[in-house]
Amino acid sequence: MAQPFPYTYYSCDCYDSKITPNPSKRASQPPPADDEDERTFDPRNPRSNYSLYPLEHLLYCEDCQQIRCQRCVIEETLNWFCPSCLFEVPSSVIKSDGNRCTRNCYNCPVCTSPMTVNSLENPADPSSSGGPWILACPYCHWSTVEIGIEFEKHTGITSQLTRIGNGGKAIPTPKERDKERERRKELETMKKDRDVLSGSEDSPTTDRGRDDGPPSHDDIFSNLSAFYKSQIASQTPSNPFSPHEINFSSPSSFSRIMNLYSSTTSKKQKREKPAPMREAASVLEGLIIHDPSEDAAAIERIKKEGWSSTLSSTQKFAQPIPTIRFDSELRPIASLLCTKRGKRCRSCRHILSKPESKITSTRYKIKLLALNHILRLSLRALSTTTIQPGTPSPLAFDYNNLKSGIPTHFLLHLSNPLFDPIRVTLATPSTTPGKIQSRVTILCPQFEVGANTDVWDDALSSSLSPIKKPTSIGPDGQPQTSIEAGKIWDRGRNWTSVIIEVIPGFVGGIGFSVGKSDPEDELDEDEDVLEIPIFVRLEFEADVNAEERGLGDSRGERGAREKREEAFWTVVGVGRIAKM
Amino acid sequence: MASSDRKVSAPLSRSIRGTTPARLQDLASTPESPRTPIRATSSLFGSPGGGFRTEDEYLVLELGSRFVRGGFPGESAPRCTLPFGPDQQRRVGDYRQWDPESTHRRKKRRRDQDWGQDHELYRLDLTEVDLGLVEDKFERAMREAYNKYFLLDPKPRRILLALPPRTPHPLMSTVLEVLFGNFQAPSIMLMSSPILSTVAAGLRSALVVDIGWAETTVTGVCEYREVHEQRSIRAGKLLSEDMAKLLNAQFNENVEEGSPKVGVSFEEAEEVLTRVGWCKSRPRSDRKTLYFPARTSPVLEEFEDAVELPEPTITIPFTHSMPPTELTVPFASLAKPTESALFAPDTPLNELDDHELPLHHLIYRALLSLPMDVRRLCMSRIIITGGVSNLPGLKTRILSELEALVQQRGWDPVRSYGSASARHEQILRKQKENLELQREEADDKVSESLDPDTPSAPLSPGLQDPEVDPIDTKLAHLALTGGPPSTCCVGGTIRGVETLGAWAGASLVAQLRIKGIVEIERERFLQHGLLGASREKEVSVVPQRQSMGPGVGRGAGERASWTLGVWA
Ligand SMILES: [Zn+2]
Ligand SMILES: [Zn+2]
Ligand SMILES: [Zn+2]
Ligand SMILES: [Zn+2]
Repeated sequence: MAQPFPYTYYSCDCYDSKITPNPSKRASQPPPADDEDERTFDPRNPRSNYSLYPLEHLLYCEDCQQIRCQRCVIEETLNWFCPSCLFEVPSSVIKSDGNRCTRNCYNCPVCTSPMTVNSLENPADPSSSGGPWILACPYCHWSTVEIGIEFEKHTGITSQLTRIGNGGKAIPTPKERDKERERRKELETMKKDRDVLSGSEDSPTTDRGRDDGPPSHDDIFSNLSAFYKSQIASQTPSNPFSPHEINFSSPSSFSRIMNLYSSTTSKKQKREKPAPMREAASVLEGLIIHDPSEDAAAIERIKKEGWSSTLSSTQKFAQPIPTIRFDSELRPIASLLCTKRGKRCRSCRHILSKPESKITSTRYKIKLLALNHILRLSLRALSTTTIQPGTPSPLAFDYNNLKSGIPTHFLLHLSNPLFDPIRVTLATPSTTPGKIQSRVTILCPQFEVGANTDVWDDALSSSLSPIKKPTSIGPDGQPQTSIEAGKIWDRGRNWTSVIIEVIPGFVGGIGFSVGKSDPEDELDEDEDVLEIPIFVRLEFEADVNAEERGLGDSRGERGAREKREEAFWTVVGVGRIAKM
Repeated sequence: MASSDRKVSAPLSRSIRGTTPARLQDLASTPESPRTPIRATSSLFGSPGGGFRTEDEYLVLELGSRFVRGGFPGESAPRCTLPFGPDQQRRVGDYRQWDPESTHRRKKRRRDQDWGQDHELYRLDLTEVDLGLVEDKFERAMREAYNKYFLLDPKPRRILLALPPRTPHPLMSTVLEVLFGNFQAPSIMLMSSPILSTVAAGLRSALVVDIGWAETTVTGVCEYREVHEQRSIRAGKLLSEDMAKLLNAQFNENVEEGSPKVGVSFEEAEEVLTRVGWCKSRPRSDRKTLYFPARTSPVLEEFEDAVELPEPTITIPFTHSMPPTELTVPFASLAKPTESALFAPDTPLNELDDHELPLHHLIYRALLSLPMDVRRLCMSRIIITGGVSNLPGLKTRILSELEALVQQRGWDPVRSYGSASARHEQILRKQKENLELQREEADDKVSESLDPDTPSAPLSPGLQDPEVDPIDTKLAHLALTGGPPSTCCVGGTIRGVETLGAWAGASLVAQLRIKGIVEIERERFLQHGLLGASREKEVSVVPQRQSMGPGVGRGAGERASWTLGVWA
């Protein structure tokens, strides 16, 4: 489950409240009210998943006086590091070497566990280096042996790995690749010239470029890239009279295609234009003709080797080239680097959080948490209501088994982190949105929560005398405070609790018969979860905010106060309604 | 308030793409398909002069209906491919996808949702789309891409965004708002995915068959511009539904009466399809497909391939069911969903709507509607791409079905059904084949001997129009005198060419610093939204030496105005 019951989510205001009609035909939705505040927040709307956060995940901008979620902050990377070896990577290296650790940190391509460098040394015949070495997964026991890769040294795994292909074949460096391409192209041209001159008709040479299997993804890409570069180079004005000049007296259809290069120039000008670029003409230029034998080979292999030789989509997406299909094509996955990031308010750009720059530190230089600025709501069952006459002692309340149709009382506890008392107004729809409609009543929707003065102040202050609770004898024989509409339940220095009465709705409606399995009656995932949207409005008087106060102080207006108001939606997850 | 930051665009006055009359000045004979007006085929690259600012750095994004890919120019593969699945849509602090218990639960589809809908970013029918939710999903995916995979310094990056050519404006607007608003992109260059797939195949003209999730799109690309487009719903979604049906049928085959029926989840069907799904490379019976409309040939139905003994099987583990179970199915059956979903061999063509044409017919029709010279180029440059295209055997199958269709029908746009005409066609075909043979012999001497790298080149010749012959001769001549190699002019036969895909194409384009025709500056967009685009289709058509072609100009500087090009 997402969070253990009961839980509270806060909705960030930046949630776009544009009213969009629900596209589904069946979902019943109350018509949206004109006033946005009065529109009931529906926790089951898919969009709500993007605006709800646990309070701990939210920041607070003191200047804007608003909650800030992940979406309404701007992030700035401060430094980069490998989460596995904790090595800090400078930003210049990020640019040149990419977003992964270039040391020995690898994750298993099968199960993603961190891999270790192990020796394959034969004890009977020890080598000087202690090798050969392999990368192995201590969890699922996959190792680079399975893809035919061994290392000579136990350090610099990354640089060794970039040069060994699966099966031990060497991977050329970009430079070697370019050289080899040039060499082959020259050979090709020579052969062509010879053929043309001699007019020979010998069969096209098929071996070259195929002797080491079909070109790899990277080969093709680099061939294409080199091809386009050379094409563009041949177009530069420094070479206006290229040998590829084309005679434009060709048939009309042909010249029409060529015309696409310029439609406004006159015929005369065209003659001075360099030849238009052409398409790739060979494998060395990145042209790959579809080869049915590769299809056939893949089918044969699946048939022979079965399910276990193929890769799951998660495994594929984690690979550098995600188009692979078989386990023999796997590569160990270098650790993704992590970053430490500072956060600024998107609207006023003030810093909201800034971690300490040391990699090993988890502390923050600045962190403006919403929980220091926003009323905290929490819910728990009022234990007395669960005690049945005759049961000996209160059992732990089972939030995963709410009883349909039985009025149940919960305590909503509100605590105030601010140094000023807050006037709170709560609002909730009388029935919860969704397929299972539960009735909800907040017995006391308007009340005050005391200031978060320190304990000493509290002792001196008499402004908040503890309320006298009328008591009665509960069904369990214990003294019990009565539940009365309009009255708060309890109050302390900086907190107040009120009662919410909930009548959980019926799963599948009343008269739902078990034998019938109409798919329309079946519940979607989490539809049996009882969540109450609660709109919270806060009013309080506070010192004029920090910056302005600074100015105010100099003018001697110490203690200037201003009235503030805040309002937001919360969603309280009560529990799961039991199946009847 | 932050939200004011994000409501950047003016309301869009139209929700559906404009039905601009086609402009065909360059490809005059392209017939217009009733469903797909050809738009904006004219070129509109920017003003000449201004060099490419070398300090500009780009990010390369490709947006599809189920995934977004992101990375850097010059790299062969994206840094990340992020899905829009249910696990990506949970609340912050909801860690159930990591909960070992939940992995043993079979995911259930929501009542009000279509097959696989909770894996989609959007659907093309915008009446069913909550754009706010699209924004939420896209913003979250991009935040993951930036924070987890791009790891950029604070310097703003321009974006090259690959989009399908028919992306509706409201959707484009939503995507651009997120990239400009939340990710501070100074400018975004839009390029259409079929053109980029063409680039990533090393070609300039091609027939791009993109077998995606919701639909298959066939786009005729000529010199880097879209000249024709045709669509069918025979694509990934239908295929995965058919796979689920097959698995359910296998599961429930031996289930006792009364016990609950198994319904595999979307995720399970998808996994089976991508791991062990395949496609028969040859039509079930060549003879049937070739000469007879399905309806008139019930007898030939069972000309199956030779049966292997014992029949090969595949055992598929199902770890999400309780208790985990296995299912052993005949290997051959795993090719059936592809058959039914993409080729519909059992439904006569005349019972199918235009939007549900089997793939080979779709491609054939697309070719048929191209002007003859463009068709000649395109039929030899068929690029099959998109998520489903990786299914082993599928490309081969599509090409051979197409080959058969072409042999059977030629390029006569008027086609009547029935055996009489079939016989007539056979005669015609024979005549053409003879012609073909003669020409082939002549061709071989020139083209094949010159090109060592395409030994298997033409699979087998289709039908060439005699009128285009002079071009061949001309080009062959040019090749001999130092012009482009003759393979660049291969045409008239059915040939498949592989592509590295639209993302790789975009990466190449950005690496070469080639500018697209649609570049949107942040400030302009924030002021006017898409309405800021020039109404004019053509801003300037200035000859540019350094352009790769009209669709991709090079080195444009600041522009006085911008347009939406193919998306207008
Ligand atoms: Zn927010
Ligand atoms: Zn490391
Ligand atoms: Zn492992
Ligand atoms: Zn702020």
